[in-house]
Amino acid sequence: MSAIPVDKQVADLPSGQPAETNYINEFGGLKSWLLTGDHKRIAMLYLISVTFFFFLGSVAAALIRWELTAPAGVVMESDTYNKVFSSHGVLMVFTFLVVAIPAVFGNFFLPIMIGARDMAFPRLNLLSWYLYIGGGILILLGMINGGVDGGWTFYTPYSSMYSNSNVTLVLTGIFIVGFSSITTGINFIVTTHKMRAPGMTWFRLPLFVWANYATAVVIMLGTPVVAITLLLVVFERAFKLPIFNPELGGDPVLFQHLFWFYSHPAVYIMILPAFGIISELISNFARKRVFGYHFIAFSTLAIAGLGFLVWGHHMFISSQSMYQGIVFSLISFLVAVPSAIKVFNWTATLYKANIRLQSPMLYALGFIGLFTVGGLTGLFLGSMGTDVHLTATYFVVAHFHYVMVGGTMSAFLGGLHYWWPKMTGRLYPESIAKVNALIVFLGFNLTFFPQFIVGWLGMPRRYHYYYLAPEYQVYHVMSTLGSSFLGLGFILPAFYLTKSLINGRKASANPWGAHGLEWEIPSPPPTTNFLQIPIVLDEVYDFDPVTEYELDRAQQALEGHHYDGMMDQDDESAHRVEQGEK
Amino acid sequence: MATTPLSSKTHGAGGHDDHSSHISSSGLLFVILVLLMVLMLVTIWASYIDLPSIGPIPGIVVNNLVALAIATFKATLVIWFFMGVRFASSLAKIWVAAGFLVLFLMFGIMGDYGTRKFEPVQGWEVGTPVDGGETALPRTWPPEGRTPGSPAIEQNLRPR
Amino acid sequence: MAAIAHDHAHDDHGALHHQFENIEQQNDSYIVGMWTFLVTEVMFFGALFFIYTLYRSMYQMDWYLAHEELDVTLGGVNTVILLISSWTVAMAVRFAQLKNRKMVILNLVVTLGCAFMFLVIKAFEYAAKFEHHLLPGPTFGSVPSHLNGANSNYAQLFYGLYFGMTGLHAVHILVGILVISALTYLWIRKADSVMKDYIPTELVGLYWHFVDLVWIFLFPLMYLMPKPH
Repeated sequence: MSAIPVDKQVADLPSGQPAETNYINEFGGLKSWLLTGDHKRIAMLYLISVTFFFFLGSVAAALIRWELTAPAGVVMESDTYNKVFSSHGVLMVFTFLVVAIPAVFGNFFLPIMIGARDMAFPRLNLLSWYLYIGGGILILLGMINGGVDGGWTFYTPYSSMYSNSNVTLVLTGIFIVGFSSITTGINFIVTTHKMRAPGMTWFRLPLFVWANYATAVVIMLGTPVVAITLLLVVFERAFKLPIFNPELGGDPVLFQHLFWFYSHPAVYIMILPAFGIISELISNFARKRVFGYHFIAFSTLAIAGLGFLVWGHHMFISSQSMYQGIVFSLISFLVAVPSAIKVFNWTATLYKANIRLQSPMLYALGFIGLFTVGGLTGLFLGSMGTDVHLTATYFVVAHFHYVMVGGTMSAFLGGLHYWWPKMTGRLYPESIAKVNALIVFLGFNLTFFPQFIVGWLGMPRRYHYYYLAPEYQVYHVMSTLGSSFLGLGFILPAFYLTKSLINGRKASANPWGAHGLEWEIPSPPPTTNFLQIPIVLDEVYDFDPVTEYELDRAQQALEGHHYDGMMDQDDESAHRVEQGEK
Repeated sequence: MATTPLSSKTHGAGGHDDHSSHISSSGLLFVILVLLMVLMLVTIWASYIDLPSIGPIPGIVVNNLVALAIATFKATLVIWFFMGVRFASSLAKIWVAAGFLVLFLMFGIMGDYGTRKFEPVQGWEVGTPVDGGETALPRTWPPEGRTPGSPAIEQNLRPR
Repeated sequence: MAAIAHDHAHDDHGALHHQFENIEQQNDSYIVGMWTFLVTEVMFFGALFFIYTLYRSMYQMDWYLAHEELDVTLGGVNTVILLISSWTVAMAVRFAQLKNRKMVILNLVVTLGCAFMFLVIKAFEYAAKFEHHLLPGPTFGSVPSHLNGANSNYAQLFYGLYFGMTGLHAVHILVGILVISALTYLWIRKADSVMKDYIPTELVGLYWHFVDLVWIFLFPLMYLMPKPH
C-alpha cells in the first residue's frame, strides 16, 4: 500500500532520537507497562496472560487424556475428573479462546491497519486488561478452592441448586471477564468507525479489521445476555432468588436458552478473528490479492448476524420444541454457507499464486483443511435426526476441537509467527517453526480424528470411564498419543519464540515482503505508530503479478535469506544462486 | 440524517451560540417532560380498565399491548429528545436501533415455549411429596433411596 | 451530537486527546462509544425482561394476584421522580453546552436529590416486603394473606424477578448517584475537563436516561398488570 511519506526508513526519525526507539524501550519500568495506554503494550500484556491461562487449560487437557487411556480410568475418581474437564472448558473458552486473537492481535494491529495512532479509548483498553486479570484470578481461586464440576456450561438446576459453592466464585470471574470482552468490543467498534486514516475506505480495510469489527459487534450484543444469566445463577445460589428452580415453576431449560443465546455467537467470536488472520496470511503468502474480497467481507457480517439465530442447535435433546428445532436446524445449515464462501475464496486465491510455504502459511493451509473438516462435521450435528445420536458423544467433542483448535489455535499460531517480527523486532528460526507447524498438524489430527470414530461408536462425552465398552480403548490411546505431539507442538514455540527475544536476528520493517500498513512502520513500531498519518491511495492487498515475479527474481539474486525455503523450479540458476548465498 | 436548524432559544445566560452541536431548547425539554407525565397517567388509568377485544385479539392482550405501546412511545420520546439521538450521527442511530432489534430477536425463545406443552415430568410435579414429605426435587445428590438401579452400579462395578 | 466541521474562532472545547485528529472526531467517538455501552445494557436488562415475559405468560393469574401487593402509588411517585430527574439531567447537559455553570450544578443537584428520593421510597417498599416475608427464601409466604391467593411457588417466582429486576435497577441508580456526584464535584471545582468540554456531562446524562428508560418499562410491567380472566 503506497502512501505519501511514511517512515519507511528508521533514519527518517527526527534528529536526536536514537533510531531504535520503539514502544518497548521508549518508557521503562514496570509502572509504565502496568499503567500504559499504548494499545501495543496492552496487547503484549494480554499475550503473556492468555499464554498463562492457555497453559493451565492444557494441563487440564493432558490430565483428561491421561485419564482416558484405560477403560476404568487411571488416576482419578469421577468427581475429580468432572472438575478437571470443567476447568479445561472454563479456562479454554472464557479465558483463552474468546480473548486471545482479538485482545492480542486485534489490539496490536487494528489501529495500525487503519492508520490510527491508538485506539479510541486507551484507558478503557487498559481497564479491559485489568478486568480480564481480575476475572481470571477469581476463576483460578475457584479452581484452587476445589473447582466446579458441572462442565463449562453450568446447566441448571445442578449449578444453581446442587453443585458446590465454587460455582459462585467461578461465575463471578466469568462475569468480569465478560466485561473485559465488552470494553474491548467498544474500543474496536468506535476505532474502526471513527479513526480510519484519510482514504481508508471500508473496502480498503484489511480483512483482519473486518473480522475484528464483526467480532466486536457480536461481543456487544451477546455477552450481556450470558452475563445476566450467570449472574442469575449466582443470585439463585447466594440469595435464593428462584429463576430456574423447577420446584417453583421455573424452567431449567430457560437457562440453556439464555446461555446458548450468547455461547453460540461466542463461538463466532472465537472463529471470526481467526478467519481474519487467515485472510491476511493467505493473501500475503500467496502474493496475490485475496479472491472475492467483498464476498469475504460480507460473509463475515453474515456469519455475525446469522450466528444469533442458531443457538437452539445445542438443545435438540433438551425437551426443546421439535418445531423450534426444525427452524434452528435449517438456519444452522444456512450459517455454514458464508463460512464455505470464505474457504472457497481462500482456495481460489491459492490458484496460480506464487505460494511461499513459510511457517505462517503452513498454519494457514492447515487451518483451511482442519476448519473444513470441523465445519462439515457440524452439519451432521446440525441436522436433528443425526444429532439425536451424536449429541453428547465424542463426535461433538471432536467437531468443536477441530474448529477451535484446528481453526482458532492454528490461526493464532500462524498470526503469532507472522507478526512476531513486527511485534518484537526479532526473527525466529524459520526451519524449527516449519517443523513445529507439521508437528501441530499431525499431532492434532492424531488426537481428534479418532474421537470422531469413537464418538460415532457411542462413547459419551464427560465420562471418565468406559469399561462397559473396552473396545474404545484403542481410539483413546491414539488420541492421547496425538495429544502428546500436539502438546509438544504448543510448547516448542514458547521456547524458540522466547529465545528469539534474547538472541534472535533483528527484523527489518518488512521481513515477509508483505503488503499492509503495519509493514510500512519499523519493527517494533514506535509508540505513536506513524510519524505522519498516512493517506491511503491504493487498494488493499495490491499485489501486482508482474511486479511480484520480477521482484521475486531480483531478491533471489541479491538476498537469498529473505526467501527462506522458497523453491523456484523454473530457474535452476536462481536456485543455485540462493544456495550459494547461504 | 436530518439536521434541524438551531432553535432561536439557544442563547443561554451569559453564554454564546455553540455552532458545532445542536442544543435543545428549555421549552422543548419541559414539554417532553409534561408529555411523559401525562402518558404515565394514561398508562395507570388504562391498566384498570378492561379493554374490549379487537377482532381475534382477546381483551387482556389488548391491555398488555396498550401498556407496551405507551411505554415504547415514552421510551422513544426519552431517546429521541432527552438523549439527543435526533441530533446524533447516523452511527449512533443505527446502534440504538440494532440494540432493540437484537433484543426483539431474543424473544424468539418464546417460539420454543409457544410450540410445546410445558409440563413437569410425571412424578416430579411441584409439590409432589417425597419420602421426607417435602418437595419433588431431592435435596441431596445423589438422592437417598432414589438412585435408579443400573446393573453396573448394583453389581458394584464402579471403578473407584 | 452531529458536528458540522468548521473553524473555531476561539478555543471553546476541551482537551484533544492524542489519538484524535480534531474535536469533532473525539466528541463523536465518545458519544458512539457510550451508545455502544448502552446497547450492552439493553441486552443485559433485556434478558431479564424476557424471563419476565415468559413466566408471566405462563402464570398470568397467580402473578396478577401476587402483584396486587405492590403499591401503585409509591411506584407512580417513583416514576414521576425519575422522569423529573431525567428532565433535569437533560437540562444540565443543555446548560453544559451553553457553559452556564450555575445552572448545571443546580440541575445536577436536583437530579441527585431525585435519585436519593427514589432509593428512599424503594427502601420503604422493600422493608414492607421483607416484613411480610415476601423475600424469596425459606420463609417466603409465611404470611399468606399478602399473597392475595396466589400459588406460593409461582408468587415466589414473581418476587424473585421483582427483586432481581428492581434490585439490579437500584444498583444502577446507585452507580448513577456516584457518577453524578463525581461530575457535580468537578463542576463545583471548575475543573477544565467539564467546564470546557460538555461531553462528560452528556455521557453521564446518557447513562442516567438509560436508567430512567428501564424504569419506564419496569413500572407498568411490575405494578400495572391488567386482570386476566
